[in-house]
Amino acid sequence: MAHGHAVKRYSGLMDWLTTVDHKKIGILYLIAGGFFFLVGGLEALLIRIQLWKPLNDFVSADTYNELLTMHGTTMIFLAAMPVIFALMNAIVPLQIGARDVAYPFVNAIGFWTFFFGAVLLNVSWFTGAAPDGGWTAYAPLSGTTFNGDHGFDYYVLGLQIAGIGTLVGGINFLVTIINMRAPGMTFMRMPMFTWSVFITSALILFAFPALTVGLAALMFDRIFDANFFDPSGGGNAVLWEHIFWIFGHPEVYILILPAFGVISEVVSTFSRKRLFGYSSMVFATILIGFLGFMVWAHHMFTTGLGPVANGLFSIATMLIAVPTGIKIFNWLFTLWGGSITFNAANLFAVGFIPTFVMGGVTGVMLAAAPADFQYHDSYFVVAHFHYVIVGGLVLGLFAGLHYWWPKMFGRMLNEGLAKLTFWTFFIGFHLTFFVQHFLGLMGMPRRIWTYLDGLGFNQLNLISTIGAMLMGLGTIFFLLNVVITAFKPKNAANDPWEDGRTLEWTIPSPAPEYNFKQTPLVRGYDAYWKEKMEGHKEMTPAEPIGSIHMPSPSILPLFMAIGLFITGLGLMYSHGEWGKIAGIEAGFVVGGIGLIITFTCMIIRSLIDDHGFHIEPEELQDKGVKA
Amino acid sequence: MASNHTTEEQRPVRHKVEGPKKHIVAFIFSILLTLIAFAAVAGGEINTDFIYIILIGCAILQVFVQMAFWMHMKDRGHTFAIIGILFGVFVVFTCVIMAEYWAWW
Repeated sequence: MAHGHAVKRYSGLMDWLTTVDHKKIGILYLIAGGFFFLVGGLEALLIRIQLWKPLNDFVSADTYNELLTMHGTTMIFLAAMPVIFALMNAIVPLQIGARDVAYPFVNAIGFWTFFFGAVLLNVSWFTGAAPDGGWTAYAPLSGTTFNGDHGFDYYVLGLQIAGIGTLVGGINFLVTIINMRAPGMTFMRMPMFTWSVFITSALILFAFPALTVGLAALMFDRIFDANFFDPSGGGNAVLWEHIFWIFGHPEVYILILPAFGVISEVVSTFSRKRLFGYSSMVFATILIGFLGFMVWAHHMFTTGLGPVANGLFSIATMLIAVPTGIKIFNWLFTLWGGSITFNAANLFAVGFIPTFVMGGVTGVMLAAAPADFQYHDSYFVVAHFHYVIVGGLVLGLFAGLHYWWPKMFGRMLNEGLAKLTFWTFFIGFHLTFFVQHFLGLMGMPRRIWTYLDGLGFNQLNLISTIGAMLMGLGTIFFLLNVVITAFKPKNAANDPWEDGRTLEWTIPSPAPEYNFKQTPLVRGYDAYWKEKMEGHKEMTPAEPIGSIHMPSPSILPLFMAIGLFITGLGLMYSHGEWGKIAGIEAGFVVGGIGLIITFTCMIIRSLIDDHGFHIEPEELQDKGVKA
Repeated sequence: MASNHTTEEQRPVRHKVEGPKKHIVAFIFSILLTLIAFAAVAGGEINTDFIYIILIGCAILQVFVQMAFWMHMKDRGHTFAIIGILFGVFVVFTCVIMAEYWAWW
């Protein structure tokens, strides 16, 4: 056994800045992701206000483009991804009976690089040049020829830095799930949420490098005058579309699969039934993940790939409806005959199912290449992807947050307010986006600043704007709920829903720093439920009580990310904006300083051995982590 | 001791513990390959066709070094890594071939 030397324990703010505890990192992800969700939501509301009547002049065309681009980018990369990571961090190690993730230090790096990348992207609002070419950053629109200001520099470097966080996070969870499952937890006994996180992490591992390469190439184009995507210099603009969607399509499955996992857990818990068709669910998840890589060109039917390619990608895309359908039916069969509790978490889950089906059906419609020529770049597409991302992912995340809130914070959310959140958000959502299908079919193009009177768009746009306001109201109710709950005593039971099926409900809420006093022995799928059914109150331990090895906190991840932030900022302003220092562009000097900070941290981490510390048996109390 | 937090102490030893010597050699070798590639282009003396051959040759060797030493492909017990790498190769080849095909021909 390694020697247990004293380690400095921090408290207050320093505790949060130095933490490597997956539960605290999960909470940090939730706070940051929640903040950017509000920012992206505000941008959405401004967009809807601009469009509420024809020829509105609430914002200028330029500002509208910036709002539109930043809304998409923020919601996908800075809101949805981190909240997914929040749930992954908070729950997955608990579900597999592990004491932490495989690489706690890397986990912290993942959070801080995401956070500073996100901040860098949003700094663009204050320097007067937010990116304004759409979240897809299509070349040559995103090149210097058509975008001479710094907008897309922020996009490229901000996303590149945030992407590091996502990539290392994904790798971390792959390793954690492969290596750190409790004794007896075989792959086919893993909870569905853990399975979906496993597949999601694999998708991150294979999809994000494509984005990294694309962004690096675009960065060379913009900052070092290369010609990857500039046709006049021998580059190819369509290449960007390929690279972006080779990343981008798996990305939408990265977003939706964790939601599938959450829904599986919530539906099964509140129906008091074993998940119907568990092994087919696993199979369907893997199949969706695999097919997700083979369909990217369905975003590009109108670029002129030819009928054979369009046909192939059409069929491949429609194939995905098969495993997705398996999942939908399995959820329905899980609900069927169950003793269902309709609390807020389950309302979100049950609301998810028909909503996601609608998004899926329009997806199959869009997959038909000839029809897509009609739908392409219209509001029909906008309606479709909001149905799958908001109606799918966001409802799933809300379900998960309401379900696991007691496990994360030790307090139950107020049920009445939570139901109010659901109904306002759910009705608002359908009001906003259902009518957009028809706007699209009537010919309203997406990404337009304003529209003329007399085209028949007026009423539907007004309805859509009212719906968006309702969604805003729903979000406010949720925030209110969070604030009210924060002032309540921390008294949630270990298994507050009383029907918990998986390992996270066997330990105190919130989980203590070391999660499990004794690693549990898993004897079947739905490990905790199995024990309950056999009349046991708790899990059988797989080890005697002993001292527990813990990773020590570190401030280095924070500084590594700050270094990258400085580098990104410096590189952007390297074309004479900041003058020269000793004959070198000041931007490059600043960028160099940032890199020195990051590499110094890496060297410190490499050269100084950190053995962590031990929590001795007499210190083990079933007290929760402070939150 | 937590069963899932220990590595060396409890698990049966799969392979002999080796020093960093092989890794240092591999590291120097991969740096050397990179330098050769850069020098071939930057030198400006070599015939273009021959540069292609040099670059591709260096790249193949580089992949081999990286895979064998840094990705531990030479060791046993890396099934997950090998599955992962093969799937990655599959994805990359599909994407690169299709994208190149549409983008340039």
